[in-house]
Amino acid sequence: MKSMSLAIILLLPLLFLPLGGEGQCAEQKLANSIDELAKMFDESKCLECHEEAHEQWSGSWHSKAVISSLGGMHNYIAIGLAKEWKTPLTKAQVMKCLDCHAPTVRYASEELAVEIGKMIVTAHKKKGTKAGDAAKKELARLNVGCLSCHNIKANAVAVGLNGPPKPGMIYGPEGEDADDAHPTEESLDMTRASFCMQCHGKYKAPDGDIIQCNTLSGSYQNAYIAKGGSKTCQDCHMKNGHTFPGGHDLDTVKEGLGMQVEIIPYRQLPGTLKKKVKEEKTWIPSAVVTVFIENKTGHRVPDG
Amino acid sequence: MVLDVTAKNLDEKDAEKQVLFNAQKKWWEIGKDLNGRMRYGAWQIKEIVDLTLQPMETQKEQFLMHFDTDIENVEFDVKLYYYISGKKGDVIYQETKQVEYEID
Repeated sequence: MKSMSLAIILLLPLLFLPLGGEGQCAEQKLANSIDELAKMFDESKCLECHEEAHEQWSGSWHSKAVISSLGGMHNYIAIGLAKEWKTPLTKAQVMKCLDCHAPTVRYASEELAVEIGKMIVTAHKKKGTKAGDAAKKELARLNVGCLSCHNIKANAVAVGLNGPPKPGMIYGPEGEDADDAHPTEESLDMTRASFCMQCHGKYKAPDGDIIQCNTLSGSYQNAYIAKGGSKTCQDCHMKNGHTFPGGHDLDTVKEGLGMQVEIIPYRQLPGTLKKKVKEEKTWIPSAVVTVFIENKTGHRVPDG
Repeated sequence: MVLDVTAKNLDEKDAEKQVLFNAQKKWWEIGKDLNGRMRYGAWQIKEIVDLTLQPMETQKEQFLMHFDTDIENVEFDVKLYYYISGKKGDVIYQETKQVEYEID
């Protein structure tokens, strides 16, 4: 028993050491600047081997998850918190947006998280000014990056079962051996819809507050799966790799919808309408237009 | 998402007088708070009045239209728009058909 306790004491500090070097570490220390945060979650090493995935991701909305949503997040901070709730800006409040829009901020200090919240307000409110553009440039460094999914959120679907993400570990659907580049662990959760639903649905903050940016997950579960649907989010939104096309991509929207039109012209019997026509005793040019709109997706349309 | 159905008189040169029929069907979501007020901000929405098109469903919309007795050439135009935001709508599908009516 004594030797086991000793082993635990000796091994415990290892849990807090980055396993994959500076490039892939999810250290437990908290960053005090965006530079520090970027260094902790430096994804440039991912690019060395995963060039194609990185290029796909670069064009995706995940790569600009903060700067593409400045309006909504500004409204939450400047109107929701400041005016409606009269609640001070804290890391816990900022995380109600950024736990999904920039999960790395989880590892920011209280001061940095609040600063990022203020930068969001500045970037939106002072858009086009020097201060606004500078804030936006800094915020562009925050996003849903490689490690957001492949580490920070990888185990969160069943964190009780899987445990918290291991620092330095890269989680993937197959857990392929990456030689010496980084340790890899299989995460089947990443292949399931529930993985995406962490953010693409109702988000329950640690304080119990519910943030409803969209209800895709509710619709998927209650209206699609309930009707016998069996596809996952990844089946449609990752079939082109890490581009994650959705509502912003017209081809994807077109693929998810169907329209069939039947136009049947006919002539209405004279004298059968209340509507005044020029010649009451003549046939009235008329038509029936029937349109069938099909939702082929796994969720309601439109949604966020 | 908006379905727009228009019938135009092809013999009318004045663009303002061309439209004989226009109707729209809109699918959209309405968020509401706990007091039943319509809400848009994610932090405000607690429930949804769901007016969207549900998955694995085909919705049928039918439009009946009558024109004046001297209308001969009509163009029917059916467009399905998808709005990624309230301001930006893109045409996803469009179908147009010209019909010539027989005049007595």
